[in-house]
Amino acid sequence: MASPQDSSKPKLATGCRWGGAESARVVLFPEGAIRVQGTGRRILELCDGERTFSELIVQLQQEYSEADAIVIRADACRFLEQLHTKRIVDF
Amino acid sequence: MLSNPLALIAEITHRCPLHCVYCSNPIELASANAELPTNDWLRVFSEAATLGVLHVHLTGGEPLARTDLHDLIAGAHHAGLYTNLITSGIGLSRERLKELVDTDLDHIQLSFQDSGEAQANWIAGTKSHAHKVELAGWIKEHRIAFTANLVVHRQNLDHLEEMISFLEKLRPDRIEIAHTQYYGWALKNRAALMPTRAQVDNAVKIVASAAERLKGKIRIDSVVADYYARYPKPCMGGWGRQLMLIDPAGRALPCHAAAVIPGLTFDNVRERSLEWIWRESGAFQKFRGESWMPEPCRSCDRRTEDFGGCRCQALLLTADASATDPACSLAPSHPVIELARLEVPIDTVPPQGDWIYRANPK
Repeated sequence: MASPQDSSKPKLATGCRWGGAESARVVLFPEGAIRVQGTGRRILELCDGERTFSELIVQLQQEYSEADAIVIRADACRFLEQLHTKRIVDF
Repeated sequence: MLSNPLALIAEITHRCPLHCVYCSNPIELASANAELPTNDWLRVFSEAATLGVLHVHLTGGEPLARTDLHDLIAGAHHAGLYTNLITSGIGLSRERLKELVDTDLDHIQLSFQDSGEAQANWIAGTKSHAHKVELAGWIKEHRIAFTANLVVHRQNLDHLEEMISFLEKLRPDRIEIAHTQYYGWALKNRAALMPTRAQVDNAVKIVASAAERLKGKIRIDSVVADYYARYPKPCMGGWGRQLMLIDPAGRALPCHAAAVIPGLTFDNVRERSLEWIWRESGAFQKFRGESWMPEPCRSCDRRTEDFGGCRCQALLLTADASATDPACSLAPSHPVIELARLEVPIDTVPPQGDWIYRANPK
């Protein structure tokens, strides 16, 4: 399974984009949609194709300063790997 | 509490330049001069978005047959819907493709009938394969999600690996291996299309292996053959639960085959709002929930997973739309499926003029 590297610039894959109401944000893709909320939503919002993965982690660690920094990195990495397999995120 | 639909299937025309033997359009095709005009479709898209619909699937027949397709896609996009174009590609030049991409079309799903040109054209009843291959190349010039869809059945399952390999070279984002489902024209041709159990079991292995190999590069989805399953498919995600289909004449149906069920009145979007239809239309209420279920469905633990299977299939095979889906191994009518399986010849000799090509609407 491919993993994001520090210098990767994660972004939504071709044909994937945001949709849904503000209170019920979804990521739309061919033939489907996933509901995203909480940290998952925040991670995807930060995947703008400009920010590197390491910058994204630093941002998350600042926003979720009460959580363990290493756990944040591991969780974000796994989350993006899963979405990469589903072809929702590229990096 | 009734949840909102997630997807709208916009069957904008039944006109089509192909004559695929596996087509699931109804035998009774909507006449070209009864088609819903542009403004009605645009209003439907707007109502759909308000109702909470996320995806619109522009399909048919062949949606490219509509000269207003560009306006329809633009309207759907403007309404906030994710736009999927389900097409054979016939009627799509490089220039027209660029126009559609420029209207912010999100996703194009291009059908293929086989990997070999002669075979593909034979299944489609039209010379179409070469154009599709060329079109795939043009699609890759743009940033748009691209699915290559391949319908499989007895006549092509023996070379599934070769077909997947062919599709991979077109570099789609997604591959869909769709086992033929027996409605409309496909049901008429079932004797020639139905695979052997060995073909189906082998297909499952081949697709799983390809999915693993292509992980992270191409997503493979497969729609299964319920004739060989133990339990029925959760058809449409449940009757009137997740999807709405509007046919070319503006009739609102819970699925593409529902017009075969007698006694249902389908409301028309020319007369009623989408919201009213979703909540109040008799056709949508008819098999919603569990109160219509006979035994064994009514007390079955699986009823929340498969929603009782397919009503249209029950009607087509048992003449009773309320019956347990015969595809279920627990259905009293299951022998009808077992019989269909037994009728599949061991060898896969192609039919010699025995199958029926999908007609044009009047």
